[in-house]
Amino acid sequence: MAQDVYEDFLRLTGFEEEEMPEYLPQWRKASEKLGLTEDDIKFATKERLPTYFAVELEGIRKLLGCFVKETIDLTKASEYKERGVKIVYGILPAIIHYYYALKLTAPDKVFVSFPDIFLTMVMNGFFHKLAPYLEEAEKAGIPYGCRHCALNKTRYAARRLRIIPSPDINWVWGFICDEGPKTDEFIRIYHDPEWKTYITRLPHDQPLYTVEDEVTDRVEYLASQMRDGFESVQKEIGIKVPEEKIKEVIGIWHRYADKLAELALLMAADPQPLGAVSGRLFWEPLFTPFNTGIEAMEKALDITIKEVKQRVAGKEGILPEGAPKLLIYSIHPSVPWVAKIFEENGVGIPLSEFFILTKKQLMPPTFENPYMAAAEGWLRTSAMVNPGYQAEQMCEKIETHKFDGMVFGLMDFDRWLGSPHRLLARMVEEKTKLPVFYIEGDNWDDRDYSQEALRTRIESICEIMKMRKA
Amino acid sequence: MDTLEELAQIARTRPEKLKERKGKGIKLIGYIGRFVPEELIHASGALPYLMCRGGEPEPPDAVIPYMLRFMSPYDRAQIGYHLLGMDPVTPILDLIVVQCSDCHESRLADLFEYFKLPTVRLGVPPDWEKSLSREYYQKRLTWLREKLETLTGNKISDEKLKQSTESFNKIRDLLSKINLLRKKPPPPIGGYDFIRLNHYSFYCDPEVLSGKLNDLYERLQKDKSPFPGEAPRILLAGHVVGVGDYVVPKLIEDSGGVIAAEFLDEGMRQCAWNVKTDGDLMANLGETYYSARTPPSIFQPAWEERIESMKKLIKDFNIDGVIWYELSFEEIYDLECSIISKVMDEMNMPFLKLESSYEYSREAVGPLTTRVESFIESVKQRRS
Repeated sequence: MAQDVYEDFLRLTGFEEEEMPEYLPQWRKASEKLGLTEDDIKFATKERLPTYFAVELEGIRKLLGCFVKETIDLTKASEYKERGVKIVYGILPAIIHYYYALKLTAPDKVFVSFPDIFLTMVMNGFFHKLAPYLEEAEKAGIPYGCRHCALNKTRYAARRLRIIPSPDINWVWGFICDEGPKTDEFIRIYHDPEWKTYITRLPHDQPLYTVEDEVTDRVEYLASQMRDGFESVQKEIGIKVPEEKIKEVIGIWHRYADKLAELALLMAADPQPLGAVSGRLFWEPLFTPFNTGIEAMEKALDITIKEVKQRVAGKEGILPEGAPKLLIYSIHPSVPWVAKIFEENGVGIPLSEFFILTKKQLMPPTFENPYMAAAEGWLRTSAMVNPGYQAEQMCEKIETHKFDGMVFGLMDFDRWLGSPHRLLARMVEEKTKLPVFYIEGDNWDDRDYSQEALRTRIESICEIMKMRKA
Repeated sequence: MDTLEELAQIARTRPEKLKERKGKGIKLIGYIGRFVPEELIHASGALPYLMCRGGEPEPPDAVIPYMLRFMSPYDRAQIGYHLLGMDPVTPILDLIVVQCSDCHESRLADLFEYFKLPTVRLGVPPDWEKSLSREYYQKRLTWLREKLETLTGNKISDEKLKQSTESFNKIRDLLSKINLLRKKPPPPIGGYDFIRLNHYSFYCDPEVLSGKLNDLYERLQKDKSPFPGEAPRILLAGHVVGVGDYVVPKLIEDSGGVIAAEFLDEGMRQCAWNVKTDGDLMANLGETYYSARTPPSIFQPAWEERIESMKKLIKDFNIDGVIWYELSFEEIYDLECSIISKVMDEMNMPFLKLESSYEYSREAVGPLTTRVESFIESVKQRRS
């Protein structure tokens, strides 16, 4: 029966029996809106999720459920808007404190989301069905062939396909790439005049090796930009957020980050207790706001930590003890097979450099002012700063988690995050003397770089690592 | 065209002259981008040198071991020639000022620094309508001024800056006058020559240059146009035609068209906007370079204003067709192209998108020629 397919999916993704009456009809409706067929749901339930995610763990099932709930919620954004709820979007990567602060202040009056990230993670990661979205964008002004980012295409397509409404305000961040914010200008001019945006940018003008969080002028400028942006957002939607709420969010962020640091240490254990893709989704709330809140995610994280601790204590791993392990720049569950090929070939890539934190990042902020604190936090983050400082942080992470080498790449769509990988590889190799590798590919969109295309390269990397360790 | 050839010769021999001057203790400052005021460098007593080469595939490829290959071939070329040992100037520069308005430029600056070339970055926030951003750029200009003073040991007095600004205003005025001659049909100078003229103007001392431009202006007023009256008038738009990247402009004019106007963000003097020479001169530089000119594609918001600027060019220069010259993997221009294409379609204005990775081998030029010739022919037919 058709209903079983949807029920099975929700059960697999950690929904409790008592939640079914509420969520089952919502999930059916959301699936239809997203363009998912019963076959797609069945594929996710029977093949995709069990293959790539440790669904035998309750924590991981709950984690997947958080993403499903958020996706359902996203498909209801138009209904929220009709009810007068203010719609606030953003793009990745951004400082999410302000979005959560909005939610803490007026939970029922505002809807916050980075729509593309959820659609990409869920549509490709769970169902391998992002292609129709990408093709929708490609046929309407964001051409294939120029290596445009799948996230930007997805955001645009989601609007074209009426999955999401125009925002009351879309606070776009250009701290990293140019294409993200410019896509929003594109959407407004080319497709939707109601696509209202506010832009915040930070020039990439710091010399190599500058410790940017210690350059007071830079922290101040960034803080001013954030204050300016947040005040504009509040004015636009008519919700005033007290500064205490931002401080409260910073506290929550640090609490969650501390737990992630614990999970990271566990995942780096020998033998590796959990597949890279399974754990990776826990890091998303650090950079992407959940309109449904972070609490359920935190509970899932607590359960997972407990479960993984048991595995570590029992020396239970997905790879044999002593298997080589590489730090990978970033593994995205939207293309989960990359990590799987590594693991099938006896090499672990348990953690993504982009997401794990340095000791400095876990330290409390130097500044009392919440904007300065947020700005400082941002400039402590490896991906957000000059490649010299970034490489230093990568080396620290390699040391902390005792990696045998590092893998760069899979970011060929990103002119900021992806562009320096070859340079970073040289810097990291020079400093650590460990092997580094580069894989050209796309972490969001696997139409060009299929498993068949990348398998040989990954297998070679694994062979090299095993031979070095033998 | 004698004057143009003379200027070409001056530009060709510029590296030798720079070396001579360096031997006499004069500092050489390479710079990248339209936001680096030449006036400021000149006022410091140093010699400015625009780094803007392009048109060959090997230099961008030389950068691939250090950078993602899906980056702008133009930006990659600015260090690629040096990596290939084909750049006589970069090794003798005392400073390279790189504007950082987008990812491509900033990653280029990373590489300059990695290769231990003396580099500073001029941050240019693209969210240009905000006072915060304007102040940021202004502060960075002040910082650059101090850097130049330290490097050269010369104080940039208001008097020196005023003289320098006046000198470059004169050049912009002359180029603007020459440009405006192109409004009449057929234009006395086409885009292939006008773009080169702009390029050469960056490699000639201002005093010499203004005399040459004046001569050229006088002559162009009298000379008969080299183009037939029925030649379709083309607007060439896009990011940049680099120094040496002349295949496309030449092809357009060899195919029977004439480039009557350009809409390019880089590599051209923004001659419609002079810098005021009274009041706060540094503020004037900031105002003109950052706020007054047509925003580049990377600025946000920019595209609607840019469309209006293009429409004005189309009207003022009586344009028959638009050719969009895009460099591979320039993602922002690629998005802009879709918008412009739509607008041109609504205006019933013929539009052709050409994309280049600086691959101009015979195999590549064949199809390119066919496309350009067909386009020019179709525009001709529409006119007749």
